[in-house]
Amino acid sequence: MKKALKPDEFDPASDEATDAAIDKMLHLARQCLARAIAPIRRSTARVGVIKSPLGHLLVAESPRGLVAVTYLDSSDGAATLTALRQRFDLIEDGETAARIGGEIERHLAGDREAIGKRPIDLSLVVSPFQRRALSRLREVPAGSVVTYQALAAAIGSPSSQRAVGTTMASNPLPIYVPCHRVIKSDGKIGNYGGGVERKLKLLRAEGFEVDRGDRIPPQVVYGHWQSRIFCKPTCSAVHRAERKKWIIFNDSGRARGAGMRACKICRPA
Amino acid sequence: MSTLPTLDLPPPFDEAVARHERELMRFLLRTTRDHDDALDLFQETWLRAYRAWPKLESAAGLRPWLYRIATNLCLNRARDRMRRSRVIGDEELDLAHAPASSNGEHEGVLQLKTAISHLPHNQREALVMRKFGGLEYAEIATALGCSSESARAGVYQALKKLKLSMELLS
Repeated sequence: MKKALKPDEFDPASDEATDAAIDKMLHLARQCLARAIAPIRRSTARVGVIKSPLGHLLVAESPRGLVAVTYLDSSDGAATLTALRQRFDLIEDGETAARIGGEIERHLAGDREAIGKRPIDLSLVVSPFQRRALSRLREVPAGSVVTYQALAAAIGSPSSQRAVGTTMASNPLPIYVPCHRVIKSDGKIGNYGGGVERKLKLLRAEGFEVDRGDRIPPQVVYGHWQSRIFCKPTCSAVHRAERKKWIIFNDSGRARGAGMRACKICRPA
Repeated sequence: MSTLPTLDLPPPFDEAVARHERELMRFLLRTTRDHDDALDLFQETWLRAYRAWPKLESAAGLRPWLYRIATNLCLNRARDRMRRSRVIGDEELDLAHAPASSNGEHEGVLQLKTAISHLPHNQREALVMRKFGGLEYAEIATALGCSSESARAGVYQALKKLKLSMELLS
């Protein structure tokens, strides 16, 4: 049988349940709702828009780390928001956004610690291959670049340079996962999701000088990913070893800074 | 100084619950006229809303969207009861069933409730949302999936029928 409202819970003058009755029901309903939602509750991410030297950015941070950075003028911010909302309950938070904006500004001003050690959350990356590529890319230090081919080899798929290119194009965390440090095997700087101008700006801010023809400069040194030895481009060791195992540093100082030692054959400065 | 683009995100879920729980509970009580049904549908409405939260596009659309979920659930429940009553042949779905009252002065209110319960579904929902929920016609239209004009016409027709019913009864 249908259970109707009791007379003392129903106010005939206003034809409404009384506030006290509603309060009582809401008290019970809140508890039930909290229990029902707990198993499907998404974690929270804080989002905001910042103005940076690289333009307007949409940034998002989850409890596990930074989860998204999107160039609003060259990417679809709505698509990023949709992807974020599938996985997180979003809260707009100007303070968090401003803090991330500060980190990016410090990074562009030359502070190497500003973003390097920040925890990241690759929740928006579904494919294990892409996760591997992006995680490995974080090991490429500022002031150096790596080719698509070398990155593919570094994650154990030497012939997947095109898949690496696709991964870089869909990188949800540009700047923090440095897809701007990935170049073409012929030495050209290649494309960038945020535009080549931004790629050059980021590389130059990190101390990697790029020629006018958007090619890597002649004074670079090649560091071997496994042996941790760096050589001049003309060294016979560079020609003997597979090209795909080299990280390209702007100069010897950067290579040493990354924990590499100079080759005893070519003796780079 | 240039202004930053705004995201126009819907409010966080818990904030939305706190903001709309009372009016939604009232709406469900009015529509179902039953404590337990209202509590069940309240939970189901918010659960469905939470699951579909990523699809909600803006803060402005939240209220009519919630009412639409609640309305659909009420409609489903009424349909289920209708089916069940057909099978077991009882009078459970008698929407005119009103709380028994020994107080004679409630008679008019009861008659009004009975008349409201006899209105066609869309007209009844539109009337309840407009007169008791205080929704705009555009919001009612979104909740019921019709045009603003239809929502307005629904409320008008409902009021006209109620007036006629009450005149006949008196």
